[in-house]
Amino acid sequence: MTDLTPITALGGSAPAAHQFGPLRISENPDVALVSLALRRGATQPAPMGLELPGPGQWVAGNGVAAFWTGPGQWMIEAEGRATEDFAAALAVEASGCSITEQTDAWTVFEIVSGNGGAPIRALMEKLVNLDAGAFGPGSATRTGLHHMSAYVIRRADDRLAIIGMRSMAVALWHALDETAERLKGELQ
Amino acid sequence: MTRLSGGLIDRSRSLSFTFDGRRFTGYSGDTLASALLANDVRLMGRSFKYHRPRGLIAAGSEEPNALVELRSGARQEPNTRATVAELYDGLTARSQNRIGSLNFDLLAMNDLLSPFFAAGFYYKTFMWPRAFWEKLYEPAIRRAAGLGSLSMQADPDAYDKGFLHCDLLVIGGGAAGLTAALTAARSGARVILADEDFRLGGRLLAETHLLDDAPATEWVAGVEEELASLPNLRIMRRTTVFGAFDHGIYGAVERVADHLPEPGGKPRQTLWRITAKRAVLAAGAIERHIPFANNDRPGIMLAGAMRAFANRWAVCPADRVAIFTNNDDGHRTALDLAAKGVEVTGVIDSRVDATAMGDYPIFAGGLVSNAKGRLGLTRIEVRQNGRSRWIECSALGISGGWNPNLHLASHHRGRPVWDEALQSFVPAGDGPPGLIVAGAADGQGSTAAALRSGAEAAGRALAELDLKAAMPELPQAEDAVSKPQALWHVPGKGRAWVDFQNDVTVKDIKLAHQENMRPVEHLKRWTTLGMATDQGKTANVTALAIMSELTGKSIPETGTTIFRPPYTGVSLSVLGGGNTAEHFRPRRLTPTHHWAEAQGAVFVEVGPWMRAQYFPRPGEAHWRETVDREVLATRKGVGICDVTTLGKVDVQGADAGEFLNRLYCNGMKTLKVGMVRYGLMLREDGIAWDDGTCARLAEDHYVVTTTTAQAGPVYRQMEFARQCLWPEMDVQLISTTDAWAQIAVAGPNARRLLERIVDEGFDISNEAFPFMACTSLTICGGLRARLFRISFSGELAYEVAVPARFGHALMQRLVETGEDLGATPYGTEALGVMRIEKGHAAGNELNGQTSPQMLGMGRMVSTKKDSIGAVMSRREGLAADTRRLVGLQPVDAARPVLAGMHLFTDGAAQSTATDQGWISSACYSPHVGCHIGLGFLANGSERMGEVITGANPLDGQQVALRVVSAHFVDPDGGRLRD
Repeated sequence: MTDLTPITALGGSAPAAHQFGPLRISENPDVALVSLALRRGATQPAPMGLELPGPGQWVAGNGVAAFWTGPGQWMIEAEGRATEDFAAALAVEASGCSITEQTDAWTVFEIVSGNGGAPIRALMEKLVNLDAGAFGPGSATRTGLHHMSAYVIRRADDRLAIIGMRSMAVALWHALDETAERLKGELQ
Repeated sequence: MTRLSGGLIDRSRSLSFTFDGRRFTGYSGDTLASALLANDVRLMGRSFKYHRPRGLIAAGSEEPNALVELRSGARQEPNTRATVAELYDGLTARSQNRIGSLNFDLLAMNDLLSPFFAAGFYYKTFMWPRAFWEKLYEPAIRRAAGLGSLSMQADPDAYDKGFLHCDLLVIGGGAAGLTAALTAARSGARVILADEDFRLGGRLLAETHLLDDAPATEWVAGVEEELASLPNLRIMRRTTVFGAFDHGIYGAVERVADHLPEPGGKPRQTLWRITAKRAVLAAGAIERHIPFANNDRPGIMLAGAMRAFANRWAVCPADRVAIFTNNDDGHRTALDLAAKGVEVTGVIDSRVDATAMGDYPIFAGGLVSNAKGRLGLTRIEVRQNGRSRWIECSALGISGGWNPNLHLASHHRGRPVWDEALQSFVPAGDGPPGLIVAGAADGQGSTAAALRSGAEAAGRALAELDLKAAMPELPQAEDAVSKPQALWHVPGKGRAWVDFQNDVTVKDIKLAHQENMRPVEHLKRWTTLGMATDQGKTANVTALAIMSELTGKSIPETGTTIFRPPYTGVSLSVLGGGNTAEHFRPRRLTPTHHWAEAQGAVFVEVGPWMRAQYFPRPGEAHWRETVDREVLATRKGVGICDVTTLGKVDVQGADAGEFLNRLYCNGMKTLKVGMVRYGLMLREDGIAWDDGTCARLAEDHYVVTTTTAQAGPVYRQMEFARQCLWPEMDVQLISTTDAWAQIAVAGPNARRLLERIVDEGFDISNEAFPFMACTSLTICGGLRARLFRISFSGELAYEVAVPARFGHALMQRLVETGEDLGATPYGTEALGVMRIEKGHAAGNELNGQTSPQMLGMGRMVSTKKDSIGAVMSRREGLAADTRRLVGLQPVDAARPVLAGMHLFTDGAAQSTATDQGWISSACYSPHVGCHIGLGFLANGSERMGEVITGANPLDGQQVALRVVSAHFVDPDGGRLRD
């Protein structure tokens, strides 16, 4: 175990979290991310029992989840395994695939609504040019958000994850923070 | 004038406001315009050019005259139409474009000088002397002819943007819009209903016709209630759809908090981008006026607007009112006003067969030819049967027919067609795909026709989407259609205004005709007709009809000008979307940003990145003191620098080596596992594009680095090559730039420092880990890391990479652990100095104009294999260029060397023809002890030792330079391999 102390993407020693009316936005530094890409001729694996989803989809399995990022390419999420070498663990499960550690390439913000899906949709409408009504649970895509590139995942009707580049975490947090704050004013 | 009876105002909620410092009261439901009328204020502004006293013309967003400065302080907003400013308690407004009071505007002398201010006068008058334009003429003209003023303070409010998606967007919430929305929403389609007003109903709110024997407002309330209960419909009030863009995208501004004194926690306005599969345009129609002499007197307004003020807001501009009309619609106003107890002194109807529809005097075949009352109308001149007489009245309503609001339907170069029966332009159906026009906007202006066409339009739109819609039951409604007589202006002496906002008169149009500015687009630019905030909504059709009279061409032959977004003014604040100052664009921060900040680093923008430029220490008075210290400390002990910003791309697959062979001009397939090679990429035209390192971690696994600036473009090019050029290759790519914090450790003590953090069992001795080696290892007690022995500074150097979250702690550890070794953090400035001292090319040298030969890397372009740009790099023109990268040192060590200087043979004339190259990079070198430079010099490699001239002829600077090797430090590279 290393004696170096990590910081979160926002630069804190603990993850940031803010409540805006019914919406809670928090930094999730604990999820490990690994890119899995099929090599030529490889058969699609089912790592850790996970059936890899099709385009625009996200699926969750036992401790792991995955979303489609391109033809023959997925991002695998593993909750709580950010500081271990999850890429190495995944490689064992996915022979014939190119595996690349991505955990710290990204920053994950989890958004949870205390009032069903409506506040999530209202927030999405202010953030991304996606049809919030058609972006139901299990949807995932990459899109532009305030001049940044981000993955957006609808984990559940009342849960949304936004995954942005780690170096832009502060800018992304600012965008989420001020949008949610204004939305709170409008929802009141 | 007291309020009339009725109206859609809440008399139990009285609101206080000020206009030009005077305090007034109005009611909830009022606009600033209706509240001013209720307080007998008819004079609301001064005209643009002549400063003529002006009052309201219209009741809606088409208003050209009643422009005010709304709010105060930083929230002051110029050119707000009083007709759309929703009244709130505490509203403050001021008239604009005046010197002195509104009643006595000193600039009204312009009106007396009007013969000099005819159309086109700027172009003719202020031409001489030339020097006077900027200093004298322009400021004076801008002061005299203008609209509102800016506060010159930053806007304190928040603005938002957003994205909506729907099956059907209904634009306009009047009779047609409501039936369209209802029809579509009942079918289950996802519908957005947007209306610019704060209350749904459109023209129904302004009329007294019954729907099914009940006031129209009752039907509207019923529909509204049902719409509100349908989850698949979204009502957006105070929302103006201002433009139709490509692919079914509509721009809309929602005025979220414009009706509040202060926005509170809300955004002031939101810019919506609405993606709609289909749209129904139900924007209604705008009434035309009929120009006659002095038709701009305050109190003269559109008859339909007068009716709207009376019926919706229970106000009338005067007790005694006359109407001038060429169709039945003017009579409706007379009837409605009479019913409210207003004295109608006469209806002047240009049609000879006109009859009164109620108890008021009728002047059939009559024309209004002049008006008096400078600050407010007092009487009008009526010509009838060859006789003229003056009639007393304090307000005149004019109805010249209606122009369909077809703007959005004309946004994709849709050209409206002339409907002879309606005497107006109607949409031709050639506008934005998926947009269907309904109601008065389509020339279906009777209430019954509007209700029906709205529902039908929605039905058609849904059918195209394979959705079934049933026609709703429609209420019984009036269905009168009145063809206006063709009457475009009343001929006579005196100025007759066509465009009130831009002070364009019938005479100006005649002048335009005389000067051959006859096509409508020329007419517009030359006279300024149809410009500014109202975009000629009450003027354009009248103007082109007058031009058609003059040219003898028909109105359809004359045609309209092109319609473009926005339909009404859109503030720059809301277009900006709310991100200003440091949030204008996102910034990228390095993993050690917060650490550097705590050290007091000075930052510099490098593309989107913020990088530490240098780390000043107490007592250092000048940045160069700091940079010199950082350079010397690195060359003597060990320097530490965050180099995470360099792009990193993970390349895997069986064909990874071959793939990189084709991208880099030098070979990568032969690179041994565990080794790094410098690589150069060329553009297809053979020019050097980007450089970096390529590390082979395994047989089928490489990590390449790019420059900071080109990280994105190089990755894009690699993806293009993988997906499009050579899809048969087994290659997988992904960016890992942000994943790893990469820190350069450079200097003679670099290895000693790293040995203190590398875990036991990893040997990084010179023998085990030589120059250009790379490996995966662990540091600081088990942290996975990558180590590369590469050098940009020319010293013994490494780059160590760890997961980004540990970058901060690693930096801290290196600086603390290496204190006795002289560990010194350095920024981009020292980095730049050291690479110039070492003669390494960077962005300044890879500037898109240099070939590998010029960079001294000609032999790197492998002839044993093909790669992008290799063949083109050998083409004659490029290969013949003799300029080569050289070092340059001033003969007099005290003289500075400046990047950008051009190089000339000593004593030669300095011209483009004698130019021998340029200085690409320069700095003060603490190692050499004077300024040094890198540059490209003709036959440079054969001119070592020669003294040449570096010159900046623009500023008369020149310096004698000695041509030297580009490697000022350790030319044989011994330090790298120690």
